[in-house]
Amino acid sequence: MNARYCSAVLGVALLAAQDKPDAKAVAVELFEKVPAGSEYRLEALNPVAVYSEPAFAFVHTPTKFAPNAIPLDRSAPFVLRAAYKRKLPSGEYQFRLRARGAAVFQMDGKDLLNTKVQKPNTSGDDPVPPPVDHSDPLVRPLQYPHQDSVATVKVDGAEHSFTLVAIIGGKGLYPSPGDLSVSFARPGQVDRLLGPDGAPTLTDPDWESYVAASDQRHRQDDLIRRRQASVDVVAAWNARHEKIRASLKATAGQAVPVVQPGTPAYNDIDRFIGQKLEKTKTAPSALSTDLEFLRRVSLDLTGLIPTPAEITAYLAEPAKARRAKAVDRLLENPSWADHWVAYWQDVLAENPGILKPDLNNTGPFRWWLHQSFTDKVPFDRMAAELIDMEGSQTLGGPAGFSQATLNDAPYAAKADIIAQAFLGQKMQCARCHDAPFHPFKQKDLFSLSAMLAGKPVTLPSTSTVPVVEGGRRPMVTIALRAGDSIAPEWPFKTLVQHSETAELPGKASVQSRRDVAAYVISPENERFAQVAVNRIWKRYMGLGLVEPADDWTRGKASHPELLAYLAREFMMSGYDIKALARMIIASHAYQRKPVGNGSDQMSAEARIFSGPVRRNMTAEQLVDSLHLAAGKAFECEDMNLNPAGDRPAKQFLNLGKPSRGWQMTALSNERDRPALALPIAQSIVDVMSTFGWRQSRQNPATTRDDAPSPIQTLILANGVLGTRMVRLSDDSAYTELAMRSIPAEELVKETFLKVMSRPPSAEESSTFVSLLKPYYQTRKVKGAETLITKRQSDNRVSWSNHLSAEATLIRMEEERKLRMGDQPTKRLTTEFRERYEDALWAMINSPEFVMVP
Amino acid sequence: MNVTRRDLLKTSAAALGATLGSALSAAPAVVHLPKGKADACIFLWLGGGAAHIDTFDAKMRGDGKLKAGSYYDSIGTAIPGARVCEHLKHSAPLMDRCVLVRSVTHTIKGEHAAAANLLHTGRTPSGTLQYPSIGSIISHELGTKSDDVPAYVVMGYPNITRDPGFLGAKHGYIYLTQIETGPNGLVRPPDVDNAREDRRETLLSKMREGFVKRNPADEAVQSQAEVSRQGFKLASPKFLNVFDLQRESSTLRESYGGEFGQRCLLARRLVQSGVRFVEVSFNLNFLNGSGWDTHNDGQVKQHLLIQDLDKAFATLLQDLEKNKLLDTTLVVIATEFGRPAEFDSGGGRGHQSEAFSMVLAGGGLRMGQAVGVTDEIGAKILERPVSVPDFHATIHCALGIDPGNIMHAGDRPVPVTDHGKPLLELFS
Repeated sequence: MNARYCSAVLGVALLAAQDKPDAKAVAVELFEKVPAGSEYRLEALNPVAVYSEPAFAFVHTPTKFAPNAIPLDRSAPFVLRAAYKRKLPSGEYQFRLRARGAAVFQMDGKDLLNTKVQKPNTSGDDPVPPPVDHSDPLVRPLQYPHQDSVATVKVDGAEHSFTLVAIIGGKGLYPSPGDLSVSFARPGQVDRLLGPDGAPTLTDPDWESYVAASDQRHRQDDLIRRRQASVDVVAAWNARHEKIRASLKATAGQAVPVVQPGTPAYNDIDRFIGQKLEKTKTAPSALSTDLEFLRRVSLDLTGLIPTPAEITAYLAEPAKARRAKAVDRLLENPSWADHWVAYWQDVLAENPGILKPDLNNTGPFRWWLHQSFTDKVPFDRMAAELIDMEGSQTLGGPAGFSQATLNDAPYAAKADIIAQAFLGQKMQCARCHDAPFHPFKQKDLFSLSAMLAGKPVTLPSTSTVPVVEGGRRPMVTIALRAGDSIAPEWPFKTLVQHSETAELPGKASVQSRRDVAAYVISPENERFAQVAVNRIWKRYMGLGLVEPADDWTRGKASHPELLAYLAREFMMSGYDIKALARMIIASHAYQRKPVGNGSDQMSAEARIFSGPVRRNMTAEQLVDSLHLAAGKAFECEDMNLNPAGDRPAKQFLNLGKPSRGWQMTALSNERDRPALALPIAQSIVDVMSTFGWRQSRQNPATTRDDAPSPIQTLILANGVLGTRMVRLSDDSAYTELAMRSIPAEELVKETFLKVMSRPPSAEESSTFVSLLKPYYQTRKVKGAETLITKRQSDNRVSWSNHLSAEATLIRMEEERKLRMGDQPTKRLTTEFRERYEDALWAMINSPEFVMVP
Repeated sequence: MNVTRRDLLKTSAAALGATLGSALSAAPAVVHLPKGKADACIFLWLGGGAAHIDTFDAKMRGDGKLKAGSYYDSIGTAIPGARVCEHLKHSAPLMDRCVLVRSVTHTIKGEHAAAANLLHTGRTPSGTLQYPSIGSIISHELGTKSDDVPAYVVMGYPNITRDPGFLGAKHGYIYLTQIETGPNGLVRPPDVDNAREDRRETLLSKMREGFVKRNPADEAVQSQAEVSRQGFKLASPKFLNVFDLQRESSTLRESYGGEFGQRCLLARRLVQSGVRFVEVSFNLNFLNGSGWDTHNDGQVKQHLLIQDLDKAFATLLQDLEKNKLLDTTLVVIATEFGRPAEFDSGGGRGHQSEAFSMVLAGGGLRMGQAVGVTDEIGAKILERPVSVPDFHATIHCALGIDPGNIMHAGDRPVPVTDHGKPLLELFS
């Protein structure tokens, strides 16, 4: 546990910091709902959060969590106060306050520095500020639209107290502190952040590593705090699961079939699968090799290919234990959450718009999805919290799910998503008429929609089929008329008849949403657990036991007994996705070589799972693995078109700097303006969209349209991202590999392990070694400098000035430069570098690379 | 029998199409649908909302302040009685090859993205489906002309309104944002010369064929390898040469004008090479600070945009005509909405979707007409309102596509247009 967040200690900690000089950290407090005009008179108020920072730099603030750990909004504005006491050697100092909005810095209780209030901006054609000058070694340049307030004071060597009060966000502003800091410097010397001795300097490199560390620290602290906040809720869910387990134990489970000795069976799953293999006289496919298994299971559990270090460690394990050990390790990898988020973004139609949301945009509830998988939230609790739709709409809470901008019947859209995600009831056709191929009436969808709305809903005219006099008769049944009012009512009585709403842990503000949740996750509702296990099965085996996995009224289970068995196991485990994943992956069926053709997933062979069904990498797995192997960070622009922060979050979401594929979003340049382009992000989105990722998720989808296409080949081969990934720049892991003093044969082998997760064949080895060998001995350029590879994005363009000619030219120039790729290293000769790059290019573009083994 | 999921969907979709077809034939025939003979479309997109009264529907002059009206004087055109802005002097004499549709109307005026989406998809979003753009629909309905030419090319930024939606990635587009950089993904990186390209292909083919050899019975491996081989065909030198404008005479290049004009020239070359639908975005907002979205002082230099458009459009029509492509190529000038005759406090104009203008040219239609009439300040439609679905239906009919054709989103039938009716007076 992190002691800094134990609130009993914390009040004291701050006082101690104020009393005791030279504390190890700066004490910080946050205040909400401070009456306007008295933001600097906080004495009588209680802070809502108390924590510490290593120095006077505040780029992140702790997320606020509800008792069930979902993120909440703070008041707009909220106030940050930081305090520190220390001695300074006597002499003259210049103090610098840097802030985007209003702040006051006091020394010994007297105002020394202050910055002005940031005003909400509605303009688009403000002038672009002059370029920033990065050449001053003493201080990092001021980022638009921050302000500096500077004053010089003489100190006498005695101890001084320092206090900063800053107003963060507010009406019409983004609720973040920006680059808020206080630094000081002796004349002619470098600016150093105020705080303990050894605090970082206010220069570009120090600042960047401070921000990165702060990001990590706050993420970790958020995790600890939301776990503390939700102790009671977690206990209540555990108690519920205990009860479910007890009642299940009282009933007989699914009988497990017995299979012939020759039929491979690692666990019960194989006995169900084996029974059908025997019946149909189908031979199972061969067991995958250890390395094939490792690549497959790494992609399935983390969305990433294995690293050479992981491969080496894996092969060093005893052969019998290595697969199980790898699974244990991968299940604990934080990327578990990353890989699952991408899936639920599709299924739940998460569709944030970063520019004035419209076209069915939702809030970015990706962040809540991610934390739920990180925190191992049981699946039934996740479903219930999604259906409650509470928390912050713009900062990532499930409230974001309630949004559907420009949709004439938003709750009908949500009802359809919930029904197909959790119950396999696809109701989209019922939006405008009684569904022709499904047992749903339009009224079913709208009565569920009314439950989500918490009141009767009126059928909009746009959700009807117009009947034209004298025109053709519609072939669908239209029972409802525009303007009809539909009352809240549970439509799926055949699945489950009662809901014990009162027994659901936690609270919610819309009672009828709770009712929906209670019906959906009721242990009496067999469908809920079955749909969930079928989705998880499909994710790992490539094909559901029931297909289509989101439309059960049309599909029949290929293995109904196995489905029932898995559903019961899932409920017994407390709706634990990890436990189910472990069970599926432990089966021989999963560990076999893939079968079938990606485009022929319903083949008889696949339906009996003689092996897992053939898959290609998803778009996210592809771009994440390419970056991992190359050792390059995403380095793309923030998913934010208003870095100046002078507009509200509702209009301009800030989704931060992506480090994984799922964090990308639609770049929303419907206005088609060069100044709104985000070139690096675009190059990633180009690849992802070609490989089946949807930048706009206006409707839910369980299966992606990602069939192999010639354009996929081209975009990877010639596009900007592929070019950057193979470029031997000074931030490339391949460059480091080539700089190692190893024989050419070893370089080729290591490269194959890194990219293909296997050693080269004899033929491949000879091809690549003979390509590199003539240039190998002389590849290193003596005394060559290591280049700084960080892409300096021009931070001067924001929504408020994007219409100016200069903003357009800045972005077009960035686009042009990007096209040239990353700057090549000077440490390797051109002849060698180009050949090694070509080798890497051939590997990432080989058909094998994108196929999951 | 091996029945794939896709087959299943196709079958049920086909079955549904059949029932619907018979339902259609049972109903009384309402209109006879004309079929044009165009086989390609160039869609010039004036993003931001071009002021109809400052371009194709010239009215009494306003004063830029209190007195509402056009910002420029008007000139006569080759269409008797139809007057346009004085800055359209090259296009005005060519209006006998055009139809001025002056009575387009819809109800989304607040938001650019939403209106742009409507103009590209012909529909408002529903949340149950993502509707395809008109380019993707045409790619779907007409297919490609040959294997080595894509059906749909965009010159502008990729965005949702241009996407294939439920038609899927195969009806997506190839795009470029600047003439200089060429089409994204097709042009090899600047540092890869022929020697490197050869080396790369040799290495790749060794990786690929080794993989195929190691997995002789694996169908999936075979087809993935085939996709890899095919990909490089699309980037054939023959197709890439289309993007090389230096192959045109300098006189012609100059007469097209600046970046937008060069894009129009490329559009002609693309159509000539077999592309079905080319969207050319006029997004050079730096010319006047705001592009066609002329709020406040964006109005002051709006004439620069109009002159650029005029030069490019007039040259394009003549160039198409000279290459005998005008009768088979429909040129469209489209925008998300118009702008009111009144001026805002900064001397510019707000948004107006109740009445605005778009232009059709060529495509073998009966040209030289003005369709629809607005009132004396272009605020209200007096005659012949044209909805966005009607406008789309006209484009589809010109290309020989029945606007009532059924496309399939899974098993849900979706007509090409949302009950759009073509402008019959353009089909003789």
